[in-house]
Amino acid sequence: MRARALFLLATVLSFAVSAPAQAAETVWSGLVMANNVAEPAPIPAELNRLEGTLKQLFGYNQFQIIGQSRKSLKSGEEDWLATSKYFALHVDSKAAARSSYLLNLQLFQEEKLLLETDANLSKSSPLVIKGPQVGDGVLVLLLVIE
Amino acid sequence: MKTFEENWTAWLDGELTGKELVEFEASLPDKPTAEVEKEDAKKLGAFLKEQLTAPAMRNEEFFHHRLREQMGSEAVAATPARVAQPELRETWWTIGRLLWTGATSLAIFAVCTFFVLREKNIGGQSAYVTQILNARVDPVVSPNATISMFETKEDKVTVLWVEGLQSLPSEFAAK
Repeated sequence: MRARALFLLATVLSFAVSAPAQAAETVWSGLVMANNVAEPAPIPAELNRLEGTLKQLFGYNQFQIIGQSRKSLKSGEEDWLATSKYFALHVDSKAAARSSYLLNLQLFQEEKLLLETDANLSKSSPLVIKGPQVGDGVLVLLLVIE
Repeated sequence: MKTFEENWTAWLDGELTGKELVEFEASLPDKPTAEVEKEDAKKLGAFLKEQLTAPAMRNEEFFHHRLREQMGSEAVAATPARVAQPELRETWWTIGRLLWTGATSLAIFAVCTFFVLREKNIGGQSAYVTQILNARVDPVVSPNATISMFETKEDKVTVLWVEGLQSLPSEFAAK
């Protein structure tokens, strides 16, 4: 009886300890130019889910991806770059709680660091960052766990 | 006064003595035939005595068993009627096992609670909404920059809003 109880306890403990281990998830990172034009291009598929929120937040009618990266996180501790011609978004991730990642984000304009932030990115909650004004629009950074 | 038949039976059995014996034998019409009959009667009597004795009892153990059963049932019938008692069934849930099961359940509950609370409280924030922990800009490059953070209610989008970054010409929008 005692052996059975200990076995049950050990099983539950091992399950609880291993529970935070995460399955491979993909993080989509995008550099998006938002502006107003007379005939806006269709919104990219990656932004479909956020179209309403983006339009409401920024007041622009066109969103175009100028750089993106799709990174599959296996260990949760990886880094990657999403780049356009002049901008680069460097992401350094660390696994946090279940379905979330601790990210360090750095936005570079060529060699110049414009912005740095640390965020705990959750699967059910995209991250939107308003960047610098570019021409008549604005640079927007997006991170989504797919 | 005995009849002839009574005297005859007594004579055959050898019970007549003395004067009765002499008088009876004198009254017999054919004494030698009577003696033969007496002898035959004796033989028949001996034969019957031999054959009609009680047979030796066999299966002695069986008989004793039946006898004890009979005595037992009679003894039970003779005792006062007892109150019928419910039959006690043996169950797996002994007190010890109940205690062990309860203690194990509590331990499992405590362990699960510990891990669930630990996950929820990492960073003191919910694990289900993206949280911006900090943000900074280079004060030399963008001295007038301001940073704010908020969350949209509709689709749980977390927004880092940076104003005052250095504006750039439109060619920087190139892919």
